[in-house]
This record gives sequence, structure tokens and C-alpha cells, in this order.
Amino acid sequence: MATEVVVPMLGITVERGKIVEWLKKEGDSVEKGEIIFIVEVEKATTEVESPATGILAKILVGEGVEVPVLTVVGVITEPGEELPAKYREPEVLAGEEKAEGEATSSATPEAKASAAPRDVGGAVKAMPAARNLARSKGIDLEAITGTGPGGTILVRDVEAALKGASRPAQKVSTLAARLAEKEGVSLEGIQGSGVRGRVMRADVEARIQKEAAPGLGKVIPMSTMRKVIARRMSESASTAPHIYFFTDIAMDPILDFRKEILPDFEKKYGLRPSINDFLIKAVAMNILEFPILNATVKEEEIHILPEVNVCLAVALSDGLIVPAIANADRAGLVDITKQRKDLVDRALAGRLSIEELERGTFTISSLAQYDITYFTAILNPPQSGILTVGKTREELTPEKGDIKVVKVATFGLGVDHRIVDGAVAADFLQNLKAKLERPMFTFLNL
Amino acid sequence: MREITYAQALNEALRECMKEDERVILLGEDIGKYGGIFQVTAGLLDEFGDKRVIDTPISEAAFVGASVGAALTGMRPVAEIMFIDFTTVCMDMIINQMAKMHYMFGGRGKVPMVLRTNIGAGRGAAAQHSQSFHALYVHIPGLLVAAPSTPYDAKGLLTEAIKNENPVIFVEHKKLYVEKGPVPEESYSIPFGKADIKREGKDLTIVATHALVLRSLRAAEEVAKEGIDVEIIDPRTLTPLDKDTILKSVEKTGRLLVADEGHKTCGVAAEISAIVAEEGIYSLRAPVQRVCSPDTPVPFSPPLEQSYIPDEKNLIPAIRRLMEYT
Repeated sequence: MATEVVVPMLGITVERGKIVEWLKKEGDSVEKGEIIFIVEVEKATTEVESPATGILAKILVGEGVEVPVLTVVGVITEPGEELPAKYREPEVLAGEEKAEGEATSSATPEAKASAAPRDVGGAVKAMPAARNLARSKGIDLEAITGTGPGGTILVRDVEAALKGASRPAQKVSTLAARLAEKEGVSLEGIQGSGVRGRVMRADVEARIQKEAAPGLGKVIPMSTMRKVIARRMSESASTAPHIYFFTDIAMDPILDFRKEILPDFEKKYGLRPSINDFLIKAVAMNILEFPILNATVKEEEIHILPEVNVCLAVALSDGLIVPAIANADRAGLVDITKQRKDLVDRALAGRLSIEELERGTFTISSLAQYDITYFTAILNPPQSGILTVGKTREELTPEKGDIKVVKVATFGLGVDHRIVDGAVAADFLQNLKAKLERPMFTFLNL
Repeated sequence: MREITYAQALNEALRECMKEDERVILLGEDIGKYGGIFQVTAGLLDEFGDKRVIDTPISEAAFVGASVGAALTGMRPVAEIMFIDFTTVCMDMIINQMAKMHYMFGGRGKVPMVLRTNIGAGRGAAAQHSQSFHALYVHIPGLLVAAPSTPYDAKGLLTEAIKNENPVIFVEHKKLYVEKGPVPEESYSIPFGKADIKREGKDLTIVATHALVLRSLRAAEEVAKEGIDVEIIDPRTLTPLDKDTILKSVEKTGRLLVADEGHKTCGVAAEISAIVAEEGIYSLRAPVQRVCSPDTPVPFSPPLEQSYIPDEKNLIPAIRRLMEYT
């Protein structure tokens, strides 16, 4: 019996996903559990497993096309089984096979982003074959200028668009792809100088230079990530009344503690825990004492979440992403260090799973590397608490009639005042301060 | 291969079938002594006698009704209606009897008869002798409708029509009777529902019927000089219609022109266009074009009639319009 392949539910807030790449072609045999396509949702890409063993008989939604979750995007048949008639309709869209040795831009550009301003009254006029081609290749017709009678978009216009800027499965040399990924440069709109428009390393370099150029008086279309950040931040700012608390925490104890255990730790586990790793652990343990900071508001209910998953905000060249360390309350320092390193690496490479982004229950945002004393942050919805970390600075402190130089950092706690009151927040922050200033006791049983 | 005319090819099919099967009889006005208005039945009275080639009075309803009865009782009558215009006076016999008997008797009776007639303007025969309303019979379930465009198809399709167990409206074209083409001497039949690709091409598909096949072939040669490569599909039978060949061709070329001498409104071209819109829309790179007769009676005035008849003067601009969508 034929099995439908769907875009899976990718988290409670996710409604749509874009197919970035099919790893299998029509006619390929697939094993149940094997990764068959990659879907991009909001900020992350996730791999989708085959729901059955058989033949990938039909790809109904091609690469670059965004569809609601649970949309049927392909059909798997048993060997020898004919594709059921209902999947053979004309609107079936075939995906494009990639030429061997070609890297595909994984952050599939939206053609719309490169759209020239266009005077369109109502629907775009396009011939059905052109429309069909555009849809199967994930090209937005509004981005295309029609050259047919009355400005009608013809097949050749879509083909031209495919060759040019809005080509989703852009031909990119491996070196160019690597450089673009490393520098966080979008390949969108790059006119390749290689054979048949292939984007070469030099093209990416030119783009990097151009982007570095001062850019006053220009309009920048929002990337998918920017749109998500914009939406989530304004949602959070307008629904959760934020209140902030700041305290200075002496950093010498934790810095010394880290320095002391580092050689042995490194020798034994081959890992170098950062101050952030200690911080994640301390926050997780602190949350166990203040579970209200691990809550989310759902209408008139406060849901205290069962897991403590601490997010660490990671700055990217074109945005910000917050993967979560799973079960940070129960995880040892080794596990936290490993998870943190892996998540940050993959965040920079744009290869986080939806689950890693959605599971967070509390966020830490650190600007310790900047010359910022303290700052506020918007809650990462639907979370109720966010901790900010300023730079570690030296201060003079009176001690036993003498003056001593101490290292201090100002920590900020932002909470959702709907469910967390000032006194609770203050207690949380003070308790965390105590934990960090007495690390030996705090990390006794790790 | 030897070449004979369309009328001679039809004559040959009749002769061969009559020789082979004595149940085959002919009925019609002036088909005996005169040999038929277009000489399709010439010589058959002498060869087969007046029991099998029956000159009827001017009484279309009577001899078409008689043919239905004869077919029901085991004969294989071939009735000739001089012009399709005259089928209006035997419409009950055709639509309510010929088309329905097999169904009304729950399959226990059959009507293996052929009603030969012709369409087409261009002979100065005015509004009552020049019409092309064959689409009317395509509209009626229970009738098969053949539409030969060449002598070869005429002979093969008529042989098949006579041997077929179902009632067939065999629609000839009066401008084609004198057209010559290669026809095998032996008997053969062409299965119904199988279109013929009269010209292969890659830029656009013309689905043409009857005389429009010939006119499209000439238009195709003309536009070939401009580098336009036309494919011409002749359905050969309108019921059943070979949709697959049409859709396949449109899938290849992405452009469709339907050319039929019937009126444009509710005609064969409308039906074929609708099928492609329903089942092949995503192949279309250009809007569908139809070249048909205008929605007016056929004029008697020769210059007006020439202007009325759909041919190269309409086909070539339509082809060029389609090619604006490249």
C-alpha cells in the first residue's frame, strides 16, 4: 500500500516548512527511518525520515516550495505497486535533480526578495505552463517580468529567472559554498561568473566586499530569520510585561574555580568548559529552587515545564539563534560542555534541528566579550525568564580595612511580570549570585 | 501506391463490403442510377442490383427509419443523406431511434448501420446545403462519429464503420471528394478512436478535422519558412476521440490550435479546447486558439463565402499569435 510522506509537525508554533532538499529522487528505493528530505522552518533545518520502506514513487512538492505542516509532499509505494491515480494529477510538482558534484545553496533564497518593484494590479498574469514551472522550482512569479503579450509571464521568462538571480538550486562551486557558509553570506542574487552561471569563489568574495561597503539609503528585504526575530520579539515585548533586576556578582571565585579544575578536566575528558558552561549549570540548579522561572503562560494557566532546558543565545552574522541545552539540571558539566559546543558549532553552520530551538525553557544572553556593563533583553517567547551577562570588570573593594581589586560582572534578570513578581525575581538572582560566588559548594556533586 | 480520389476511395470501401457481406445494402436519394450527388455510389447499382442499392423518394425520415429497422433485424444498411443540412428532417430517427435502440432494449438489440453524409462550404450552395454541424452528433451519446480527411482514411474508416456493431454517423467533406491520395487496393479498416499524426512538429499542435487537415498542412508549410515547426493531429473519429494523442502532443509543444469547420460556439474545437484545459492545462505555454466557421449562416455570395471558410488566411495569423508566446 502506498504511504504518504508528509512535512511533520515540527513544534507547537510551527505552521509551515520549506523543502530545502530532497535527498532521494523519484524511483529511488528508501528504507524506513532513512533521511529522505530536509525541511527548513523559521530558523532551522530538520531532516525528515522516511515513514516506510519502498520506492519513492512521486515527489509532489519540489525543492524551494513552502507548504503547511502535514502537507503530503511525496508518496512511497511498495516494490511493483503502481502509483495510485490520485497522485498522478497534473498539478503534481516534480523536484529538481541536482547535478553531481554541485553544492546547492541550503538557505534557499526566496525569489521575492530580489523582486524589482513592480506595478501589479491583482494577480500576476502567467501562462499555465510558466506558472507550473515556477511553482515546481519554488520561484515567485511576482519577481518575474513577463515578456509575453500584455506583460504575460511565459515559460521562457521563468527559465530566465531560473538561470539568473532567483534560481533556488543555484549552481555553486564547493569552494564558493564553503566560503559563503563560513562568512554567513547569502548566495541569493549572486550572478555566477562560472560556466552556465555557476557561482564561483570570486563571486562570493565580491559579494562580501559589497556587503561590507557602507550602505545608506537602501532597502534591505528581511531574510526569513530576520522576519522570525522581528515577529517573535515584538510578540514578546507586547504580550509579556518585562521587569528587570540587576546585581553585581563577584567573578573571582568562579574564574579561580574554573582555572583550578581545568587542567585535570581537560586531561580526563578532553574538554574545556567555559564560564558559560558553569553558568548554565548554576542557572539550571537555581531554576529547580524557583520553578516559576521555568514556566510558560497559556491563557489563564501557568504551565511549569517538566524539563529544564537552558538556551544560550548565539549571535550570527545576520541574526541571533537560541539553541537549548537539554536537561541542564540533570546533566553533568561534561555533558553540558559537549552539548554547548556542538550546538554553537551547528548554530553557526545553520544546522540546528527544530527541537533544539523549541525545547528551551530559560535563556542566557551574554555580551561578556563586549565592553558592555549591563543590558536588558526581550524574553524569548514563550519563556518567562532571561538572564543577561555583562563584561567582567575590575573594581576596588574595601576588605578588612584594606582595598582589594576584585573582578565583578553585572547580571541582569528579565522576567514576565504576569507570573513572576519582583520579590521572586530578586530572590532568584540573589540565589544565583550566591551559587556563583561559592562554586566549590555549588558544584560539589558534579 | 496508386492514387485515387476521396470519393473513389469511399466507393471502393462500399463495393468491397458489399462483395464480402450480402447484408450490406445502400439507401439514399439519387444513389442508384445517378451514382450519388458526389458519385460515391457510382456503378454499384449495376454491380449489386436494385435490391441492394435502393433509390429512395425524398423522404429522409422514412429511409433512415427503415435503415434503423433493417439494422435491428440483422442487415447492415448504409444510408446516404445528400447534405448534413437534410439530417434535420430525420432527427428523431437519428437521435431517438438510431442512437437509442441498443440502450432501450438493454443491449438485446443492436443497430449496426452507417449514416453517410457530408459537410463543408465552398461550392456556392448557400445556407441550407453548406453547413457543418457534425458537432451535434458528437454531442449525442450512442452515436459514433467518423471524420475522414484523406482518401486513405476515407476507405479504412468506412470499412470499419460498416463492420462496426454500433450506429455510425459517417461525416464526409464535400470539398475533399475530388482530393487524391494513395490508397491500397486491398481492403483494410482503420480502428475508431485512433488519431493520426499528419505532420510531426515541435512548436505547436494543430488538431484539425476534415478539410482543415489539408489547409493546416498547407499553412504549416508556409510558416515552416519562418522556422515554425507545426504538428498536425487528425483525430479521424470525433466519437470516440483519441484524447491521449492530443494531450501528448500538447505536452510536447505547449501550444494548441484547434481547427474545425463547424461553428465556433459549442463546436468540436470548443470540446477539444475544454479537454486540454481540463487535463493538460499545465502544458499550455500560450492561450488556446480556435479556427472555425463564424457563428453565422454560410453566405451565398462567393466572395463572402470565401471569407467565411476557415482556411490558411485564418490559420497562419493564429499560428503567429501562438508563437508570440515563446
